[in-house]
Amino acid sequence: MSKIGVFVCHCGENISATVDCESVANTASQIEGVAFATDYKYMCSEPGQMRIKDAIREKGLDGVVVAACSPRMHEPTFRKTCAEAGLNPFLCEMSNIREHCSWVHEKSGETTDKAISLVRMLVEKVKRNKPLNPIKVPITKKALVIGGGIAGIQAALDIAGAGQKVILVERDPSIGGHMSQLSETFPTLDCSQCILTPRMVDIAQHPNITLYAYAELEKLEGFIGNFKATIRLKAKSVDHKTCTGCGACMTKCPSKKIPSEFNEGLGMRTAIYTPFPQAVPNKPIIDRVNCRYYTTGKCKVCEKICPTGAIQFDREDEFITEDIGAVVLATGFNVLKPDFFPEYGYGKYADVITGLQFERLASASGPTMGVIRRPSDGKIPQKVVFIACAGSRDPAKGIPYCSKICCMYTAKHAMLYQHKVHEGESYVFYMDIRAGGKNYEEFVRRAIEEDGAHYIRGRVARIYEKDGKMVVKGVDTLLGAQQVEIEADMVVLATAGVANGGAEDLAQKMHVSYDPYKFFAEAHPKLKPVETNTAGIYLCGACQAPKDIPDTVSMASGAAAKVIGLFSNAELTREPTIAVVNRIATHDVSTCVGCFLCETACPYQAIEHEEIKNRNGEVIKTVARVNPGLCQGCGTCVSFCRSKSIDIQGFSNEQMFAEVMSLVAEY
Amino acid sequence: MSNEFEPKVVAFVCNWCTYTGADLTGTSRIKYASNVKIIRFPCTGRIDFMLLLKAFANGSDGVIVSGCHPNDCHYTSGNFHARRRWMLFRNLLDFLGIDIRRIRFAWVSAAEGAKWAEVVNETVAQLKDLGPYTEYQKATEFLVANENELTEEMEANHA
Amino acid sequence: MRELQDTVKALFDKGEIDLFIGYEKGTRTPRPFFVHKAEDAENLIFDAACSGNLAVYLTRKDLTGGKKTGISASYYALKSIAQLFDENQLKAENLRIFGVSEEGSVQFFDSVAAIKQHLSATPPPAKPDEDELVGKINAMTASERWKFWSDELSKCFKCYACRAACPMCYCTKCIVEVNRPQWIQPWASTLSNMEWQINRVMHLAGRCSDCGSCGTACPLGIPVHLLTHKMSETVKEHFGVSETKENVLSTFKPDDKENFIH
Repeated sequence: MSKIGVFVCHCGENISATVDCESVANTASQIEGVAFATDYKYMCSEPGQMRIKDAIREKGLDGVVVAACSPRMHEPTFRKTCAEAGLNPFLCEMSNIREHCSWVHEKSGETTDKAISLVRMLVEKVKRNKPLNPIKVPITKKALVIGGGIAGIQAALDIAGAGQKVILVERDPSIGGHMSQLSETFPTLDCSQCILTPRMVDIAQHPNITLYAYAELEKLEGFIGNFKATIRLKAKSVDHKTCTGCGACMTKCPSKKIPSEFNEGLGMRTAIYTPFPQAVPNKPIIDRVNCRYYTTGKCKVCEKICPTGAIQFDREDEFITEDIGAVVLATGFNVLKPDFFPEYGYGKYADVITGLQFERLASASGPTMGVIRRPSDGKIPQKVVFIACAGSRDPAKGIPYCSKICCMYTAKHAMLYQHKVHEGESYVFYMDIRAGGKNYEEFVRRAIEEDGAHYIRGRVARIYEKDGKMVVKGVDTLLGAQQVEIEADMVVLATAGVANGGAEDLAQKMHVSYDPYKFFAEAHPKLKPVETNTAGIYLCGACQAPKDIPDTVSMASGAAAKVIGLFSNAELTREPTIAVVNRIATHDVSTCVGCFLCETACPYQAIEHEEIKNRNGEVIKTVARVNPGLCQGCGTCVSFCRSKSIDIQGFSNEQMFAEVMSLVAEY
Repeated sequence: MSNEFEPKVVAFVCNWCTYTGADLTGTSRIKYASNVKIIRFPCTGRIDFMLLLKAFANGSDGVIVSGCHPNDCHYTSGNFHARRRWMLFRNLLDFLGIDIRRIRFAWVSAAEGAKWAEVVNETVAQLKDLGPYTEYQKATEFLVANENELTEEMEANHA
Repeated sequence: MRELQDTVKALFDKGEIDLFIGYEKGTRTPRPFFVHKAEDAENLIFDAACSGNLAVYLTRKDLTGGKKTGISASYYALKSIAQLFDENQLKAENLRIFGVSEEGSVQFFDSVAAIKQHLSATPPPAKPDEDELVGKINAMTASERWKFWSDELSKCFKCYACRAACPMCYCTKCIVEVNRPQWIQPWASTLSNMEWQINRVMHLAGRCSDCGSCGTACPLGIPVHLLTHKMSETVKEHFGVSETKENVLSTFKPDDKENFIH
């Protein structure tokens, strides 16, 4: 027989104005299993809590129902009170007679009756509550950061700076990402490389950071605090231990006509290469697709020239595994590629380029040394048209979203062009100008008012070539849809930001959800922006959605803070309100039949396979087991399980059943 | 007290959206019918269809099932699972002739305190029109209630 | 017929199976027949009347436990076998599965994939009688439907033949045996009979082969197979035919369409 205490709070007059609290307490004391019931003006006050503690000790209560406000308000308070008096906190429940009763009904007998039923319901629940203890999960204090752009760099440095170990994995031969390709950055026009490269060097030198460039995540197993990552180290064909990075091989390599990825195809590179002079690590790799030796079997010039004998043609991909506690996804974005705009002639006309290509033209380290020259003939263009929203906000093209950064970088491009070509004319076709951000609007105004960029509100319908000029035909919607035709020397498209290649694959490997555009999904759009729905995996930067550098960096620091917070404890402590698969009696038996249909129902991949073995070690049966590190306690599996072999602590089948029955039993 | 029929309604709601939404109804002091009593579940995905049947079997005239709007689930997809469950369950009940007008499904977010009051008031008004759901409960005593009819039927079959 | 008998005999001779589950001639209709040795294969038959779902025996440990088993499977049995594989209840290495056409020609399936391929290429047998009855019930008013089903289910005395006949009802502890809490009252009453059927049908959603064995098994002729047939139709209508092993209720689409949640 239970000994439950019922404590009815008046909440000043918030409850007692419409509910007869004394009568609620009196009636409650008659309920079977209730050993003590009382009412008090403020149960959450110090003397109120003392009443509960005293009653627990004096009456030896084994369960407590506090009839007061919403449990979402004071459940932690009263559970703590109970714990202080030596009662397991999970034996305390709250009956919500304020928000769900006194505040929403008039003073009447019915309102008091409803309060009584709500109390009775929770008494029936508490009778079936079990003492629960927080779940402890050990944590491996090492983080894996995937992606070495500014997001990954920031996250890795922050985590490493807090004294934790970091493994940074970058797919390309160098870290730096898109930011390393940029010329200057809005809204301050500071040089991108100047602010980025010191951070790249910090990564290489930080004692807490292990950098694997030219590597990819192969597999991720395990759960928060206890992941096991398999990383593929792609064959570089150059032994980076012996290579000094002298660069002799690159000058002698005969394959010199390979479009440089770093220069967005506007410059060339060799087959043995570093992507750019400030690369980290600054040691070359061989691009086997374009290397003469790998394609024809003859050459090996680099091997002959290398002073340290670092060239190793027979190297293969290697796999390493690392135990890690948390993952930060920072895989970035890409820009939409040419074939998307047949009407703009991208790919057909050399002088129609993307914004990222313009960055390379404007960059002092770029193929033109920072002089704006058009790709077709190297002339300095006298008239440039910039087209914003090339692909973005265009549901017909399948991209309804705004790419966020284009308005700002287009203004920057117009500005840079005007700074470099004083007599030149720049035109910007735009749909709307979105310049939300510190000093952003001022920046756009400057481009228009001080630097004289001509802004035309309207879309461009078509671009075609006439006598070496790009004829841009569009409309100006602010002038009554008047036709506009500009004969430009060069056209720059602010192409939509899209998910990076391989995002979907990676998401599936890691069990992270993604949106229809393959951007990774955050756990909550407002309150959990850097978490994913898989505990222990965080995300930052443009892999979540297109965003600018300040937003990326703050998000990266946010994700890093989450990792540091996780690592600040020896163990992970979790609420025990999670699902559990029953294991009856001797622990050899379970009613689970191992159909594992619950596996797909679980949003958190928390269902594991457990083998039940006999004394000889033979597997008798494979049943489901809930990983307490992963389960978040939604209970979807519980109502799905046919044989009721899985239950959730704190909202168990018996508890919920009893609650329903107590309400209807009175009828 | 009037003699008007007061339906008994059990509300099955999720902790994160509708329960909190109903808290907001309270905080906003919006009044609604006191016939409805709320049971808190972690998620709509946790709401077992059997609990709805149990409520009906034991004297409930109607039930409300409510949780987070699609895409708002605290657990990302519990409500999507629940939606499928209710689609099939509701269809099956209808096929059996169980009065599905007595089950109100709703999405009520944590911000929709006023909507919660509306959902409750509408449900109660509808149930007042429908009257008590004795049919279902009486099925427990079907044999007793239909003894004469069944005896006749049996005799006819044996004749 | 001959072909099946010879095939089975050969399997026994080669020691590939210890047990074959098929049909033999019955008094009125063919009945399940368990072949334990080669010479018994003589009695095997297979024709249009062999319409039961023999897959039900595959999960009966007392029968098939530790034995290499062969089975002649109808369309529905194949469907159930594929589902049982998806639910990890069968082991391929202990099983020899044969599809048999009504004319008696034999087709061996060497993998679940082969079964699934066969199933997706074969249209399900028409169910005109069931469709007509379901149509009739659909056309009734809700209270007529209630009258119909409570009348029918009042006859049930909970022998659970419907469960025993179903290949998908293999739980070691069925919900009706769960007593903490007692979800369904153990005695027979119209209401608890109905609750049992609702549970049974909900549990079969997306898993049921629609073979109708449950209805055939009912000693009182309660048309419980109409419930599963209706459920199969509902699932198909709303969610289509699933090609993956995930169950219809353990998966979802963010854009699942309904019109009753407001």
